[in-house]
Amino acid sequence: MPSPSRSRRIRQNTVRRFGEPIAAKVKAREGGRPEIVNGQPVEAIRDTWLVEDRWWTAAPIRRRYWQVVTASGAVKTIYREAGGRWYAHG
Amino acid sequence: MSSTPYIELHAHSAFSFLDGASLPEELVAAAVEHGHSALAQTDHDNLSGAMEFAQAAKGLGLRAIHGCELSLSGGSHLTLLVEDASGWANLCRILTIAHAETRSGPPGAPATPPESQLQTVLEHSKGIVCLTGCADHGIRDDSTARQLLEGFGSDHLRVELQRPLRRGDRERNRLLEQLASRIGVPTVATGNVHIHNRSRGPLQDAFVAIRLRSTLDASEPQRRGNRSHTLSTPQAMAARFADHPQAVAETLELAGRLDFDLTSSLGYRHPREGDLDADRELAAVCGSAFETRYGQARPHLRAEAKARLEEELRVIAGLGLAGFFLLHRDLLELARDVAAEVRGPDTARALLPPGRGRGSSVSSIVCHLTGLSHVDPIANGLQLGRFLNDDLSSTPDIDLDFPRDIRAKLIPRVHERYGKDRTALVATFPTFRARSAIRQIGAALSLPAADIERVARASEGWSGQRVGDDIKAALGDRGESPRWQWLARLAAEAHGLPRHLSQHPGGMIVAAQPLTACCPVVPSAMEGRRIVQWDKDSCSDAGFLKIDLLGLGMLSAVERCIELVWESRRERLDLSQLPLDDKPTFEAIRKAETTGVFQIESRAQMSSLLRTQPQTIDDITIQVAIVRPGPIQGGAVNPYIRRRRLVLENPGLKIEMPHPSLEAALGETLGTIIFQDQVLEVSAAFAGFTTGEAEGLRRAMSRKRSSAAVEAYRLRFIAGAQQLHGVNERLASEVFTMIRGFSGFGFPKAHAAAFGLLAYQSTWLRVHRPAEFLCALIDEQPMGFYPPDSLVHEAQRRGVKVLPPDTNLSRADSTIEEGAVRIGLNRVKGASSECVAAVVAQRLTGGPYSDSADLASRSGAARPTLEALAWAGACDSLAGSRRAALWELGAASLSQAVGENLQLALPLGIDAPELNALDAWGRAVADYSATGIAIEGNPVGLSRAKLSTSTVTATGLAELPDRARVTVAGLVVVRQRPQTAGGIVFLLIEDETGTINIVLRKEVYERHRLEVRTEPMLLIDGILERPAAAGGGISVLATQINRLPREQPASTTVKADFAPEPLVEAAAADRAEHFPRASSSRGGR
Repeated sequence: MPSPSRSRRIRQNTVRRFGEPIAAKVKAREGGRPEIVNGQPVEAIRDTWLVEDRWWTAAPIRRRYWQVVTASGAVKTIYREAGGRWYAHG
Repeated sequence: MSSTPYIELHAHSAFSFLDGASLPEELVAAAVEHGHSALAQTDHDNLSGAMEFAQAAKGLGLRAIHGCELSLSGGSHLTLLVEDASGWANLCRILTIAHAETRSGPPGAPATPPESQLQTVLEHSKGIVCLTGCADHGIRDDSTARQLLEGFGSDHLRVELQRPLRRGDRERNRLLEQLASRIGVPTVATGNVHIHNRSRGPLQDAFVAIRLRSTLDASEPQRRGNRSHTLSTPQAMAARFADHPQAVAETLELAGRLDFDLTSSLGYRHPREGDLDADRELAAVCGSAFETRYGQARPHLRAEAKARLEEELRVIAGLGLAGFFLLHRDLLELARDVAAEVRGPDTARALLPPGRGRGSSVSSIVCHLTGLSHVDPIANGLQLGRFLNDDLSSTPDIDLDFPRDIRAKLIPRVHERYGKDRTALVATFPTFRARSAIRQIGAALSLPAADIERVARASEGWSGQRVGDDIKAALGDRGESPRWQWLARLAAEAHGLPRHLSQHPGGMIVAAQPLTACCPVVPSAMEGRRIVQWDKDSCSDAGFLKIDLLGLGMLSAVERCIELVWESRRERLDLSQLPLDDKPTFEAIRKAETTGVFQIESRAQMSSLLRTQPQTIDDITIQVAIVRPGPIQGGAVNPYIRRRRLVLENPGLKIEMPHPSLEAALGETLGTIIFQDQVLEVSAAFAGFTTGEAEGLRRAMSRKRSSAAVEAYRLRFIAGAQQLHGVNERLASEVFTMIRGFSGFGFPKAHAAAFGLLAYQSTWLRVHRPAEFLCALIDEQPMGFYPPDSLVHEAQRRGVKVLPPDTNLSRADSTIEEGAVRIGLNRVKGASSECVAAVVAQRLTGGPYSDSADLASRSGAARPTLEALAWAGACDSLAGSRRAALWELGAASLSQAVGENLQLALPLGIDAPELNALDAWGRAVADYSATGIAIEGNPVGLSRAKLSTSTVTATGLAELPDRARVTVAGLVVVRQRPQTAGGIVFLLIEDETGTINIVLRKEVYERHRLEVRTEPMLLIDGILERPAAAGGGISVLATQINRLPREQPASTTVKADFAPEPLVEAAAADRAEHFPRASSSRGGR
């Protein structure tokens, strides 16, 4: 049982699980290639991969991942859910 | 081909065994649909699916490329593709070597995975193109790559690029491109296909978990993680490799060079092929045998036989098959030597031939004269047609049946005689059945183990298609959850996929040259045996000569019976001299008193015997053939039985044929198709087919994928009949429907004649030597339709005495003791055969045992064996009762065997305290757990007093009128749900007076499924049915089913309470488990 203060902190979103994906704003080309990630233009694609798994559970996964380098030089790993929403990992 | 931008050079089928979830024909069909012009099938370390792939591809106009993904020692993989015939031979050699050590572990240990040394591959590189392997296990390092370059040359080595759409793809392919340019060879793109369609993805994931003995939740890292291993279109694959256009173009380049066609000849020859003297030799062998067999025959028979022999020899010479027959004769001579060794020189069995023919070969006089068949085709009126004709396109089949012990020795002897590298057994590929699918896929899905077991036990056990029903029946609403629904779906998809390679029951390939150049050969689990990687269809497609050396349990039992008759009566029975018109034998057959005999003992056979009332050995030939899927589905059974009864009631009545031209072919079977040969005869007489065409039709019907081919023959058949006889289309179509319904699942008449003769002989033994026959059946289990418990009870009701196992009277095998059957000590479960041998040997040399301590000390047998014997009642004569014997032996014995006479006979006072003896229930339960035979009779009798007085016994039923409401109680002996019976379930239950046939309609079965499938004893309400047409057969149509409340004998638990400490564990087991499990079958054997 988390202490009341701890759960309050969680509610206030001051702490979150390490590496938990957060929603991202992405503009992508037709075919899925991202062009702008959270306002940053994408300079290069480092890698892209596909995850389709956990089909036997209540929460099946189907995601297209992209690892991109933005104009600022940052490396970002983002993915698009089957439903169309984008998330960023870390 | 120019329009195709990409050719797939790396695809796994289900023959990669748990790493591929599509059949070769599914891959082929999907490839054609996607517009591929060629496809390579590259299974893991085997070519088992290659011939199926080649045949399927040929049929659909796809070019098949052959190869495999080879595992190197150290864990790397190479993709090897066959360029030409020398490459095929080399790949077969590499794979044979890879598997050579997979069975080097101790006997019974599972096979270790195959692996190859790089050196072996390099030594056999000619004709093979090598790709550097898949994304996960491919070659990465320069030194190995350079070794491959040296071995294969730059023309025959390509660096393999894959794009499984996983993290790290780009980096890996960049490094591989650099490697390729450093060593100076091009790259080539491949898809590493594992499924033909996205929908198989979940099954492939489940297979990975099963292969790793893990669960889906835990095997994530080893899984492919997405569906990129689906066979895709060439365009999509080219797009996936857009960064590597050269690697895509290279697929076309390479594929263009790989033009080995597996459907063309592999250069196989059998050892007598091309023997120039063969025709003369065969004629000489037959000529001299002819004098012995037909020298004394009546002149017209002799003339007929002579003409038939000349005709056969002419056809054989024309087809160049004399060597083939001589090869079989050589084998039989080999078997004769083996038989002499196994049987010993001077036993009653020595009179018997080493084996006997079955199948269509029995119709040939050449086979009869060379000893390959014991049935005289002339006297039996057997037509040659199907076996041998001028249009024969492949070698005929000769099947030989042997007693099990002779066959076991013969197989290694054949390896020896013709060379280990030139002989091998044919493979079979066991597929996922409902139970294995439920257990394995259920575990992969992490479903609760106890529930999985419930579902598996309630399952009918054969069709994976109906696992959804099994789940619903066992779990009800709980089975609606998504994971259970996944199980239902995946089990249905897994149905029919090969699970692993196993050994065919008897098919053997013999070649003139090393087989390893034609097909890989792998060691079998049984020492000294080797298996080709192809099943019988693939072997037949490859033109291999297959010889069937089959083990037949009833032949073993008959031989054992003849030995027992000699031992107990000093009478040498010669089966070949039995009169074929023995009255008591036929009376027993007509009354369906055939429990335990060959073939005509099943529920369906018995009810049919009552109606058809066989009078002659020919009638039995028909009888053996009639309860088969062919005649049943072809709709022949009921018309035959109806007409047969008409003829029996009106002697001289002539049955009208659908068309006069059918009289010769169908007259004997009253206008129905019962034998396979009749398909040929009807198509010749009615539709004017040549023998070759007719044989083609028969083959089309018996192969797996044949509907299109059968349809083509249908049109020819109808046109032929219209042309020949001017019949209308409707009649022609009706006759064809009879043929098509029959399909391939029936016996040729010659085979039925061989089996019919054995059925008759075994019935003769049952009637005239009942104790010996029962004794032989008990020791040769498993075989036949009934469990030994039922065989014993049925014999007891006929007055055969059966005595329990006894350490002072039994031998290891069951024996005849003053006309009674004494159960052998080897029947006792848990008693080791070594310890039993010691118990018997000590008694024979040192005299009977005086008490438990004497037994324990002199035999030196280990405690588990002595406990098992005590619990079986085999020490009652020493200790007075089973409990006392358990007590005393527990105190006197050692936990391990010490060998005979090593232990001093200690004069310990170990008399048991006063213990209550087991009551009758307790003894029955103990008997079931010990020998599977309740020797004091069916335990239902013990409950009789507690059952309501309206409960009727089996014999009581005979007194009641048709349609009477009855209640019956019994032990379930057999459950059947024949696929041909539209959901009806048949039960055979047994009470203390006999057996009762129970019929369950589909809805009754569905309502009581769990009781029917799991309860050993049932109480059944129903309606007595005794239709006039059944010839006296009675059955009960069930309306309500309950478990029979069992006595709970306090006494069995007392045993645990009173026994000395170490015995408690041995005794503690669920008693329900000890009841014999009813056999379930699809009907027929």
